[in-house]
Amino acid sequence: MSQNIHSPASTSLRDSLIVFRKEMIDAFRDRKTLMMILLTAVLIGPLMLIALSVIIGQQEEKSERREVWVAGLERSPELHNYLLRQGMKVNQAPPDYEDQLRDFRLGESVILIPDDYRERQSKGESPELRVVFDSANRQSTVLVSRNVSLLSGYNREQGALEMSMRGVAPAVLEPFRIQERNLASAQSRSSQMTAMVPWMVMIAVLFGGLTVALDTTAGERERASLEPLLTNPISPFSLVLGKWMAASAVAMAIAAISVSSFFPAKLLIQSEALQAMFRFGPGEAVMFLLMLLPLAAAVSAVLMLAAIYGRTYKEAQSRCTVALLGFQLAPMIAIMDFSGEKPWHLLVPSLAQQTVMLRVLRGDELHLQHLLVPTAVSVVVTVVCLVVLARRLKALAIR
Amino acid sequence: MIVVEHLTKQFVQAARFRVPAVTVQAVADISFSAENGCITGLLGANGAGKTTSLRIVAGLLGADSGRVTIDDIDVRENPRAALSRIGCLSDSRGLYPRLTARENVIYYGRLQGLGQAAAVKRTDELGELLDMTELLDRRTDGFSQGERMKTALARALIHDPANLLLDEPTNGLDVVATRRLREALRYLASPAGGSKCIVFSTHIMQEVERLCADVTIVAGGRDVARGTVHALCAQTGCNDFEDAFVALAFSPTAVNSGATT
Repeated sequence: MSQNIHSPASTSLRDSLIVFRKEMIDAFRDRKTLMMILLTAVLIGPLMLIALSVIIGQQEEKSERREVWVAGLERSPELHNYLLRQGMKVNQAPPDYEDQLRDFRLGESVILIPDDYRERQSKGESPELRVVFDSANRQSTVLVSRNVSLLSGYNREQGALEMSMRGVAPAVLEPFRIQERNLASAQSRSSQMTAMVPWMVMIAVLFGGLTVALDTTAGERERASLEPLLTNPISPFSLVLGKWMAASAVAMAIAAISVSSFFPAKLLIQSEALQAMFRFGPGEAVMFLLMLLPLAAAVSAVLMLAAIYGRTYKEAQSRCTVALLGFQLAPMIAIMDFSGEKPWHLLVPSLAQQTVMLRVLRGDELHLQHLLVPTAVSVVVTVVCLVVLARRLKALAIR
Repeated sequence: MIVVEHLTKQFVQAARFRVPAVTVQAVADISFSAENGCITGLLGANGAGKTTSLRIVAGLLGADSGRVTIDDIDVRENPRAALSRIGCLSDSRGLYPRLTARENVIYYGRLQGLGQAAAVKRTDELGELLDMTELLDRRTDGFSQGERMKTALARALIHDPANLLLDEPTNGLDVVATRRLREALRYLASPAGGSKCIVFSTHIMQEVERLCADVTIVAGGRDVARGTVHALCAQTGCNDFEDAFVALAFSPTAVNSGATT
């Protein structure tokens, strides 16, 4: 057979492209799996934003509604009168409100006027008013601080009345006033709600490359097609490179699709507040992709390395699940830990991407290290995994 | 032409929890040569070292010592050139179920350095040769054993190699498929088929008797006898080739030089 003589580098790249092309055809023929992955990627943006807009809508509605629930209302007509004067609609709380709060039937905090209220008041002792809620029942916690401040307002008014009857100036009672001032910009306030968005996109990317990574490694071993494949005059590295290109191409496509799915999704959102909160334009999309594409490449390489040690598809899948779990949990540090961003966060794959994408959503300033460090880490992880994989390939193929 | 000289290969299974390390001498000292235009049989019982030897020839395993040359190219020194001169039909014959037989074959052709057009043309020729033209455009998912074997053989022959390694190719084939395979191999060894050098490993006497001009008997990781079927029968004084094989492979000298240490 006549064979063209090429330089070794161009030959191995040519070999990698042949492998890549074959793996892509193979992946596209697996229609059902592919449709499933693509559908997830397409739907992730719209579903996230709809869920967020529902939550925000509920909270908006609740904070706008000037309603208050009181147990034992008859024990203090003065408080009733005060609440009405504040423009509140006052409701009598149901008798079994505690049980209702515990099993989520009541979604409101309740002001409790205890039995001995009058008695202690007449004795000159200071009676206790309670705001009852269940912190497991998130709905009931929304208006707790409003109810507390309503009661402290009542407290101040009562005190001031007593004092002024004795001829004391109200300023004595209130040497200073407290006012909150929130420094967070509208965008950064909203990012607390939208912190889940980059995480969900990342999960789509993590799982995007999984099937191809499994099929090109453990799948080949299970089908017993890896051994004959290696009898071709192709270097293990070009083989691994071609397979990795296919796996990461799918993962990168998922990244691109899920990021762009936010644009049509934004049109669907009803909540104006969320529309204002979720700043996601072309600039943000580009930054997201700059983070997600190298991550997709690194995750594909890690998954392929984890999978090749599995003799069967099933065994490989369980190994990959462990690897994926790490990638999924690391961003939680950025979501859950409120002590802020630490320099080492940028060194951990997926946590780094989450950190930078959150900065993008918050509109915080980005420095060069935010772009370079996560990408460099991804590149190093990719290269190490591919080299190890290429070295182990022959030994694993014949076992 | 394939020349194998004094191959040795040891496998070490590392110690695991409560299981001590195990060393297996899979190949103790195997030499054989296979001429062009000739089907050389590598006959041995299970575990005799046939598959390991063929894997070393195909460059899948490195030998601990010894030398393999394919058309005077050393496999260890120049694996790419050596590999492009052999076609392998190993024990593992996995195909890609979502690709058609043709795509499976062309994939290997491309990896062997053929252009797309040349690979397509050659696949059609092989379809004729192996009587599988109607199979070519079907996906290999659901192929019978015989159909899989044909596809795998076409894949091994796509680059028209001068040397062909076959590891137990008749495993799982029915009579008709076995006969077809035999015919194809005879043709490939003949001048019309390209006078290929074919190495055929098996544990089935009948295959060797019917097909192989030259036989190397392997036992306990060593080559214990070599010659034509007639010569080997004459050497042992047996009329039956099976008796001759048992006498050669399981004689006290052959067994004592045993595989496991």
